[in-house]
Amino acid sequence: MELSSLRAEHVITDKEAKTIGRIEELSYELRIGEVMTRNFISVAQDMRMEQVLDLFREKRISGAPVVAEGSLAGILSIEDLIRCLRAGDTQALVTKYMARQVVTIRAGDTVIEALKLFTQKQYGRLPVVDESGKLVGILTKGDVTRGVLRALESDYQMEEIRRYRASHLFEDIVSERSSLILRYTIAPRDFACGGQASSSIKKALLRLGATPQIARRCGIAVYEAEMNLILHTPNGGTITAEIEPHLINIKVEDDGPGIEDPSLAMKPGYSTASEQVRELGFGAGMGLPNIERCVDEMSLESAVGVGTTLTMKIDLQPPAIELRHRYAVSLGRWEKTRPAIASRQAGESGPEGEVAT
Amino acid sequence: MTLVEIIEKLGLELLTDPKDFSQVVPSGGYASDLLSCVMTGAPHQGVWVTLQAHGNIVAVGALLELSAIIITGGAAPDQETIDKANHEGVTLLSTGMTTYEVVGRLWELGLRNS
Amino acid sequence: MKPEEIIAAVDGQILVAPPSELNLVYGCASDLMSDVLNLTHPRTLLITGLVNIQSIRTAEMADLPAILFVRGKVPPPETLQLAQEVGIAVMVSPYRMFDCCGRLFQAGLRGLGKVKNAP
Repeated sequence: MELSSLRAEHVITDKEAKTIGRIEELSYELRIGEVMTRNFISVAQDMRMEQVLDLFREKRISGAPVVAEGSLAGILSIEDLIRCLRAGDTQALVTKYMARQVVTIRAGDTVIEALKLFTQKQYGRLPVVDESGKLVGILTKGDVTRGVLRALESDYQMEEIRRYRASHLFEDIVSERSSLILRYTIAPRDFACGGQASSSIKKALLRLGATPQIARRCGIAVYEAEMNLILHTPNGGTITAEIEPHLINIKVEDDGPGIEDPSLAMKPGYSTASEQVRELGFGAGMGLPNIERCVDEMSLESAVGVGTTLTMKIDLQPPAIELRHRYAVSLGRWEKTRPAIASRQAGESGPEGEVAT
Repeated sequence: MTLVEIIEKLGLELLTDPKDFSQVVPSGGYASDLLSCVMTGAPHQGVWVTLQAHGNIVAVGALLELSAIIITGGAAPDQETIDKANHEGVTLLSTGMTTYEVVGRLWELGLRNS
Repeated sequence: MKPEEIIAAVDGQILVAPPSELNLVYGCASDLMSDVLNLTHPRTLLITGLVNIQSIRTAEMADLPAILFVRGKVPPPETLQLAQEVGIAVMVSPYRMFDCCGRLFQAGLRGLGKVKNAP
């Protein structure tokens, strides 16, 4: 199994990290003990090669550990058997042909350790030992693949349950349209408290059954907006998150100072931040572009001396068809929207909720 | 190690006017995106690795007579910043790699601080 | 790399232990919070000199499991407490960022490859 994302030159975008990453993550999470074969065939130390030949043929295996008094004495592979047959030496004891220096792996190690060994050393199988060195199983590449696929499947099932939960959020509550509204007031220059609102919203979403990806995108978008209020407004502002079964709508409002040119504010790297703000780690001019990247729709209305209203929408059930963004720049306003989605029907689930790029 | 080797081995892009980089031997390396940290900590004539691409980095570069500033993450300074750098004699280099990776490779090449 | 291996590579200390077993693959060095939010992989170690409470919040938002503070900068107790609450491991090293990155890279903590510009 090639983990191509481990090559240094590979470009890892948010989207890719999610799709490839899950297999990689599982390789780091799954233990050998969970995927190995426990009922393995072993060869006794006092057996003869002739018996091994019959055993391999009958059981259709290409290798086996050699066991003496319950512990690993060596390992026999097809190559060893062939050497023996060529020498016409089938009456010999297995100890003559087995490999004594055996590379083993622990049941508590993660799958990634085994993968490293399989690729580096071209072994067909690895005997698995427990903490005390006792032989407890055999691991082949097939075992790894099967184990990862099983875990992915159970992952997928968990995902389905979560999606079901999210789409049936308000199922028992009867109304024409139900929503949960979370409201936060953000004080200006309250640096130490920055992030509380976004953290709370993120946790609430996870609690309500949103996927980790949606919760993260939402968290990041609100966090950037929250820090903007703290760092760049005289009086702070408010954040209102309205959560419905298929949509999250977030509104961030302040009463000053206003943005002179919203389209300029959307440019990555553009910032009016003071040196002080930069020293705090902010003011890189990525705030609004970061938000744009995380949400599905966004609009910014602002007037100097009056204030700014930022509205963001995240679809919880994105449409099946990928649509291109359309930008409308007009005086004092900046918008990014998708064209109206006529085909979206209730219950229709599309690709996992990542922003189409 | 000369700046030429660094530019070649890391595949960096030169943004400012070319100079005889084979004569430039950096004294060490520094990584930080906070200007105040860089001003107090970066080695004189060292190489500074950062994501920051705005005009203020040139002032820091000139003040510390840095061998070069490597701007990472594909961040692009505007023309005004590049002009200022040329005027001050500060070398700006650019790369798509992350700061972590650039520093790792510099270290691998043997760039150390005395 | 496990936290123990990381602190061995940078002569560091664990200030807040990870809530569960942790195996980090990538390193990201930055003092700019927006950059951190923009570039992430779940098994990434954030290496930073920015010791304020927002580095924890940023790590929380970006789902980063661990932070390494450089130059021996130990954050105030409230910051460590927040890290504990949200389940982020915190480590500190006496070395400056350049040296930390160099050592960790050499020890096998990978970089995240080239950055693709946001659309």
